[in-house]
Amino acid sequence: MEVRRALTVIVGIVQSIIAILIVISACTLYFNFFDVQTLLNTAVEFSYVHLLALLVFGFLSIISGLFLVQEWLESR
Amino acid sequence: MLKTKRELGLRDALIMGLSGAIGFEIFVLLDYAYFHLAGSSIILALLLAGLINLLTMFSYCELGAAMPEVGGEYTYIKTAYGGFIAFISGCFRWLASVFAAALAAVVFTQQLAYLFSIVAPAVESFVSTQTPLIAVIVVLVLAASDIKGAKKIGAIIVVVFIAIFAILIASGILRGLTPLEVLPKHLPEGMSGVFAATVYMFPMFFGMRALVAGAALLKNPGRNVPKGILLSALLIIPIYVSIAYVAAGVVPLEETRPMAPLLNFAAEQIMGDAGGVLFAIAGMVACLSALGTSLTVQSSIARGMSRDGYLPKVLLSIHRRFGTPYVAITTGSLFVVLFSAIEAIEFLGYAASFASLIVFALVNLSLLRLREKKPYMERPFKTPLYPFTPIAGVIMSVALLVFPTFLGDVNAVGALMSGVGLTALVLMTYYLRMMGRHRLQIAVGGAVLGMSISLALLTFLAEAGFISPIFPYVPGYVILVISAISIIAGILNATAHG
Repeated sequence: MEVRRALTVIVGIVQSIIAILIVISACTLYFNFFDVQTLLNTAVEFSYVHLLALLVFGFLSIISGLFLVQEWLESR
Repeated sequence: MLKTKRELGLRDALIMGLSGAIGFEIFVLLDYAYFHLAGSSIILALLLAGLINLLTMFSYCELGAAMPEVGGEYTYIKTAYGGFIAFISGCFRWLASVFAAALAAVVFTQQLAYLFSIVAPAVESFVSTQTPLIAVIVVLVLAASDIKGAKKIGAIIVVVFIAIFAILIASGILRGLTPLEVLPKHLPEGMSGVFAATVYMFPMFFGMRALVAGAALLKNPGRNVPKGILLSALLIIPIYVSIAYVAAGVVPLEETRPMAPLLNFAAEQIMGDAGGVLFAIAGMVACLSALGTSLTVQSSIARGMSRDGYLPKVLLSIHRRFGTPYVAITTGSLFVVLFSAIEAIEFLGYAASFASLIVFALVNLSLLRLREKKPYMERPFKTPLYPFTPIAGVIMSVALLVFPTFLGDVNAVGALMSGVGLTALVLMTYYLRMMGRHRLQIAVGGAVLGMSISLALLTFLAEAGFISPIFPYVPGYVILVISAISIIAGILNATAHG
C-alpha cells in the first residue's frame, strides 16, 4: 500500500509537469512563438492534427496526474 | 465587487446597456462584412441585425423585469426548464464571453499595430508579426488586474465613444457625403452576403444584455430594466448605421482594401493622422474594457454553475488578499489565451455570434414556457404581440445560426463545426460531472492507458523503420519514456479505489 502511495504521488506530479510542458510546446510550435518553427525546422511537419492530438493527450494527462495527486492527498 | 443594494436609476440602466453595447466590435467587424460580404449594404445588414436584436430584447425586458436577480439569462432558463438546459445555456454564455475576450485581445493588437504604423512605423512590423504573443500578454495582464479587483470605467467610455463617433459622423456629413455615394453598387456575395453580414456583425448588439446582469442593482427594476433595455436597443441602431454610412461613403468598395481596419482608415481619410490615432486609441481602450468585462462575466457564470453543482467547487475559491474569484478568472483566462493565440478574427467573430444566438433562442423559448408554466407570475412588463414576438425571436436566432453556412463562408462553417464539437464537449462534461469523481478517474485512466500504449507502439514501429516517425523532431526514446510514465499513471487511475 505504501509503495502504491509513493508511486501515485511521484507519477502524478511527473505526469502533470510533462503534460503541461507538452501543451505549452505544442502551442508554441503551432503558433510559431519566437519563430521556433524555423529554429527546429518543423514548419511543414507540425500541422493542425499534431496540435489537436497533443492537446487531447496533454489535457487528459494533466487531469490524470491531478487525480493521482488528489488521491495521494486524500490518503494522507 | 457587486453591491446588491438597489440604488441605481434609469440613467444608470441606460449607461449599463449602452456601455455593454458600444464596444470594440465596431472597430473590427465592419471590415470583413464590408469588403467580403455585403459592401455598402452593411447599412442594411446593421438595420436588420438591430431589428432582430430588438425582438429578443422584448423577451429580456419581460424576464428581466419579472426576475431582476443575479444570473440574468441563466436564472430565466433555469426557472423555465430546470438544471440541464440552464447548464447548456450557461456553457454557451461562458463560451461567448471567452470568444469575445479572445477577439478583443486580437483586435487590441491590430489597433496597436495601426497606431504604430502612424506614430512609429519601425515598431509596426514587430507588432504585426508578434500578434498572438502580444494578445496573450494582454490577456494575462488583464486577468491579473481582474484578480486584483481593478475598477471598471464603463460609464466614462460610453460618453467618450458617443462623442468621438459624433465627431466622425459630423465630419463625414460635412465632407459632403450623400446617400447616392453609399448606395450599393456591387454586392460581393449578393443578398445572401447581406444576411451573412447580419450574422457576422450581430455581436455588436449583444452587449446590451449586460443590463440584465446588473438588474439586481437597479431601483424599481420593473420599470427601469425594460426602459433601459429598449432605449439602449433603439439608440444603438442609428449610431451604428450612421457610422457604417460614413465609413462606406469614405472608403469606396471599388478601391483596393486598405491595410488599416475600415473604421480607422475612414477616420484617417476624414480627419487626417489625428483621426487615425484617435480611433486607434479608442479601439484599444474599448478592447481592454471589453476584455476585462468578458473575463469578469465568464468567471461569474462559471461560479454560478459551480454553486449549482455542475462544475467543481474549486471555482468558487476567493483570493484571500484581493477577495476576487481567482480560480474562475484564471481558468477562463487560459481558454482566452488559447483562442486569442489562434489570431483568426473572422472565426472568433462568428463563434461569439453563434454561442450568443443559441442563448437568445433559449431566452425566447423560456419566455414562452414561463407564460404557460407560471401564468400568474407578476410581470411588470409584457412582450408586445405575444406569442409572435418571442416565436419570431427563436426563428430568427436559428435562421441566423445556420444561414452563413449555406453561403459556404469557410469561417462560418468552421465556427459552426466548432460549435457542434463544443456542444458535444458540454454534454460530455455534464454526463461526466453527474457520474461522479471515482468513475471519472477510472475513465480518464483507461483513456490515458489506451493512448499511451498506442503511442509507445507507433514509436517502436517508427524506430524499427516500419513507419515514418509521428513527431520527427522529438527523439524516440523521449516519447517512449513519456509513454511509460503515462501507462503507469493510466494503470494507477484505472485501479483506483473509490
